Amino acid sequence: MTTKNTLAAATFAGSLAAALGMVAAASASPVAPQPNMDKCYGVSMAGQNDCAAGAGTTCAGTSKVNYDAKAWKYVAKGTCETIKTPKGMGHLKAM
Amino acid sequence: MTALSAFAAALTAPDRRPPPEFAGRAERRFAVYRNNVMVGLIRALETRFPVLVSLLGEEFFRAMAREFTRAHPPSSPVLMSFGDELPDFIGGFEPAEEMPYLADVARIEIARTRAYHAADVPRLGTDAYSELTPSNFEAMLIDLHPAVAVIHSHHPIWTILAMASGWQPAAAIEDWQPQAVLVNRPDLDVLVRPLTTGAALFLEALGAGRPLGIAATEVAQDVPDFDLPAALATLIGDGLATRIHVFGGDLP
Repeated sequence: MTTKNTLAAATFAGSLAAALGMVAAASASPVAPQPNMDKCYGVSMAGQNDCAAGAGTTCAGTSKVNYDAKAWKYVAKGTCETIKTPKGMGHLKAM
Repeated sequence: MTALSAFAAALTAPDRRPPPEFAGRAERRFAVYRNNVMVGLIRALETRFPVLVSLLGEEFFRAMAREFTRAHPPSSPVLMSFGDELPDFIGGFEPAEEMPYLADVARIEIARTRAYHAADVPRLGTDAYSELTPSNFEAMLIDLHPAVAVIHSHHPIWTILAMASGWQPAAAIEDWQPQAVLVNRPDLDVLVRPLTTGAALFLEALGAGRPLGIAATEVAQDVPDFDLPAALATLIGDGLATRIHVFGGDLP
């Protein structure tokens, strides 16, 4: 392996020492406590597949069987419309 | 094909034709069943991609998710990986072409889910670094924690993510610059935070198996303002590594 233009070991060691100093300074300040959460493997989307049937009904979403797949095309109503960019992206206009 | 697998295939078939056994009176009932499978899968995508939902709105997202699910039905009963192909799908999705940053936002959301379910491997603390001898940085390999991911973009994805998540007010982004983010799970919660371009490239190089000293040299050549101490401080302070070793074995 060639070693052209590699950082000198002393330079790297200096950076490492500086980094350790930064980490030590950061950990001296109090850390905001993280909220506790139960961790649950593999089931984070459990329930998403269920039919949300109420009493005496068929299933939720049934009315969308005849959803018009193209009618939504110009109706992005999310925050992309409020995040305006110099390139004009994020403005979805009806055409 | 068994009756059951024909039934399953028909549930997500793009041509929406029921299997022959369901022709006639049962056809409408089959359509209800199929629709509920689709709605369930769309809900799963909404759960996995909340920032995309925020950016696009529910209606647009659901319609896009429907198209996606037809093209890429789940390949596993484990839904946590469903949607892995969504970034590439969005990249080729014509109605979203005005928002070329969406695919990278989707990559962040995928990394978040993966980080959440990643193995709990012990992380290296500060001591592991203060003991290093300065002789062989160019042969020193770093194993990153399985929850760690770096996503960088040609677009200001950190700012977009923060605005869409309500962490900062939505406003005009005047300075449209490439940005990178770090996804990590320090304890039980997945965190996303911005990275400089140099730090992102450095961590990616380490993750790809480049030795510590070589990665630092290469990034310093590519990124003029690369701040090596700050990048190392992120590596050490955020506990991103699980092991330091040299070619062919552990450190002596």
